[in-house]
Amino acid sequence: MSKEIPIWRVKYYPKNLAQVCGREEVKETLMHIIQQGNFPHLLFIGAQGIGKTMIAQLFSKEFLGKDYNANFKLVYADVPLNDEERKQARAEAYISTSKIGSVAGRTIATPAFIQVKIKPFVQLKVLGDVPFKILIVKNFEALGSNQQGFRRLMEIYGTNCRMILITTKISSIIDPIISRCQIILFSPVKLDDFKDLILNIANKESLSISDDCIEILYQISEGKISRAIDILQLSSISDNTITTEILYEISQKFHNDLIRSLIMVALKGDFPKTRELARNILSNYKYSVQELYKLLLIDLNKLPLSKITRINLINLIADSDFRSLDGRDIDIQISALLSKICLFSEYL
Amino acid sequence: MSKRKPDIPWVEKYRPKSIKEMALPTARIGRQRVKIDEELTKFVNQFFEERNKINKENREIREFNRTAIEKDQKEEKQIPSEKTAVLLEGPPGIGKTSIVYALANDLNMEVIETNASDTRTRDALERKLKETTKSRGIMDFITESKEKLILIDEIDGIYGVQDRGAIPTVLDLIQNTQFPIIMCANEYKTNLQPLYNKIKRYEVHPLPKNEVTKITKNILKKENITSLKNEDLELIIDKNNGDLRGVINDIQGIGQGKIDDDVKELILSLHRDNLEVIFTLIRDLFKVSSLREARYLVDKSDVDYNFLYKWVNENLLTFIKSNRELTEAFENLSLADEIFGRIRTTQYWGLLPYFFDLFAGAVALSRTETPLSKGFQRVVFPRYTSGTYFSLTSIEKEFIEKIKNKYQISEIDFVQDFLPFLKTLCGTSRKQLKNISDWLELDTKEKKLLK
Repeated sequence: MSKEIPIWRVKYYPKNLAQVCGREEVKETLMHIIQQGNFPHLLFIGAQGIGKTMIAQLFSKEFLGKDYNANFKLVYADVPLNDEERKQARAEAYISTSKIGSVAGRTIATPAFIQVKIKPFVQLKVLGDVPFKILIVKNFEALGSNQQGFRRLMEIYGTNCRMILITTKISSIIDPIISRCQIILFSPVKLDDFKDLILNIANKESLSISDDCIEILYQISEGKISRAIDILQLSSISDNTITTEILYEISQKFHNDLIRSLIMVALKGDFPKTRELARNILSNYKYSVQELYKLLLIDLNKLPLSKITRINLINLIADSDFRSLDGRDIDIQISALLSKICLFSEYL
Repeated sequence: MSKRKPDIPWVEKYRPKSIKEMALPTARIGRQRVKIDEELTKFVNQFFEERNKINKENREIREFNRTAIEKDQKEEKQIPSEKTAVLLEGPPGIGKTSIVYALANDLNMEVIETNASDTRTRDALERKLKETTKSRGIMDFITESKEKLILIDEIDGIYGVQDRGAIPTVLDLIQNTQFPIIMCANEYKTNLQPLYNKIKRYEVHPLPKNEVTKITKNILKKENITSLKNEDLELIIDKNNGDLRGVINDIQGIGQGKIDDDVKELILSLHRDNLEVIFTLIRDLFKVSSLREARYLVDKSDVDYNFLYKWVNENLLTFIKSNRELTEAFENLSLADEIFGRIRTTQYWGLLPYFFDLFAGAVALSRTETPLSKGFQRVVFPRYTSGTYFSLTSIEKEFIEKIKNKYQISEIDFVQDFLPFLKTLCGTSRKQLKNISDWLELDTKEKKLLK
């Protein structure tokens, strides 16, 4: 490439499996599969943001070789369908009265997600000189009850298309799916491998960073390499020597702290301000309600609060989460929760 | 002195009398572009040809049946349904209804119209349409009768309990009609699916902007209005987004009112009386002292409740101040929201009274401590309208497409993880911003996202 890529996480994105940092066991298994030229459906399990999708993609790329583009698809299970796709699903779900049989003139309830995103890909024939296609479904657990629809798909189209299902929670995956897959477990990058990677980058970018700092970086990025590289790049702007202070300062800027400050503002009891902040967070980061509740819960557990306060707050969040299952307006539900926290703060 | 009668809406005044003087919207059937006027004329002519043929055959069959024994009797024939009716689909105000009237005028026919303002239960529809379709009046034999054209406007408005049984009636009508039927609709509706299968659907697209401008300028010239600046006209046209009727209504409002320099303000005020209703309603609502009063207020107004409870949500803070009251109010409001959600999923509308009482009365009555302020209370528009689904603006979508060329990332990760990082990075120096936007080949609009 003639031009320098200005974003490090893109610049140091591994080009093939061998370049991926750490995770030797997983890499070995996958390399073996590539040599064999055949594999069952795979289920990747591991914490969020540690590179499952990246490895799955690099693996598919190496497995499919030059026919990669035609035979590969990556689907995000947690991205809801847009209006057009919904419309399409509705139109396809109807069986015309001109057909014969008991289903004629009826609507069959194929889950819209499978109808629109999965079926068209798995049904099509393999193109080029590869044994089968590869479909990656990311955040598989987000499918919920739609997982049932996958059971038959995996069997019927299994010869045509292998699937790699990626998830963070094995507990929310139904047993029939697990039994159809080979499970590959991902652990976060080990500190030693992480150190090598960061030192390598520091070397190329002529930065100086101490071992202590790398350890801190490892902690604040929670094992997410892309996050760590982001922080490193931001820190490098002010000075070529990375210090602990800079690292902490930069990591403050990332959004998890926004959620924390939301709780803090709410606990001060100023509702209008809290609501304003919550709206900003929601419109900037486009969290779904459930995600926001999850983040609130995670951050709540990190805050230095008394046991009773914490339990009370968890109670409020759980209540609100439950209610918004049926509710239609996110803003109202969140406001209700925040107003309760504001009131609660008066009794502290 | 101008002679014009101010009480005729310009929309009616300038409704085209003939297809020739109309700006025709583009239409599609499936993916194929068609000329809508030719298609419709062909449709009507073909229908009458077919009808006369079939009627003649039926007469012969009837003649035959009269003498034949029962098991030899033949069934009477029907015109195939795709030849009896067509559907025009498109956004409001682009000339769907106008084209039908113009066509009827050109072909010297009479239009029998039914639209969403009529109740369309089975009985009502049958009364209105079937009589005219099946039989002919006595007078028709004496005077030379006009052929009729049936226009079922706003067919997507057939909905709910009030219009129960309307769709089967329409289907029935299509089978047995003696006159051609043209239907208009704004959008795709699942409950109209049985209809879609039987007839031809034309998708009608909005008029191009230059056509709208041409027509509007023509009207302005005829009405002797010169004070409207070109850029303001453009603003009106843009706002209406291809809706010619909306444009004409707006310029009438401006043209007949006093002409001010600040036309933009005036355009806004055109929509203000509707808002004023909501404003007063919200103000009154927080003054009530009993549930019954609140209920009366909500029932009396014709503001859409889908919308109204969002107004309550937005303006609650103006009227209610203390945390205790707020908690109470939001508790009620969120419960109302939950109930509303359940109504929508289960379609059990019996829950609706609870919804009304909770979002209006119970919220307003939560105000126990905050005194009613004597001054003017500003009511604001619901700023935060949250969708149920994750959605991106078009600029964000383009942006993400550009990123995807270089770096594989999901939309959610992009918004929640990558974009904040890019923003901080670009915030550090102008050089960084330039580097990144050059690398991604961003245009100015997309650059703004990074700031």
